[in-house]
Amino acid sequence: MDFSSPSPPMGSGQSPEALMEQVQAQLQQAYAEELIETLRGKCFDKCVTKPGSSLSSGESSCVSRCVDRYIEAMGIISRSLFSQQR
Amino acid sequence: MHEEQQRVMMNEAVAKLTSVCWDKCVTSVPGSKFSSSEYSCLTHCAKRYADMSMIIIKSTQSKK
Repeated sequence: MDFSSPSPPMGSGQSPEALMEQVQAQLQQAYAEELIETLRGKCFDKCVTKPGSSLSSGESSCVSRCVDRYIEAMGIISRSLFSQQR
Repeated sequence: MHEEQQRVMMNEAVAKLTSVCWDKCVTSVPGSKFSSSEYSCLTHCAKRYADMSMIIIKSTQSKK
């Protein structure tokens, strides 16, 4: 996800292609935010079972693994849904 | 635009199904890789959800 390219304001007479790029960039941003929110919920549930006065190193590494596993799960689900073989 | 809408629907389906299947299949603390039972649960989950979805649609149609 690349947010580094500047985009012109919407509806300033730009081409359909540029508009489409802007739409796609905003969609990507929305997906990223949704994913982060989901990860917060899932990983807090799995890793921080009893909140203490700080996050232990065990809890921190659990969260890190949780993020990796969840993103891996997204790939597994995606391939499973969109592959042709049964 | 139609292509874009399809892509959006696909992305949303993946997001939703991953959430559902994660809850069903990843029952213990996440490890550095999935166990083989977690992995097969995840690979089956999306397809079984789609199968179930078909049953629900057919069943609600026949009740009209």
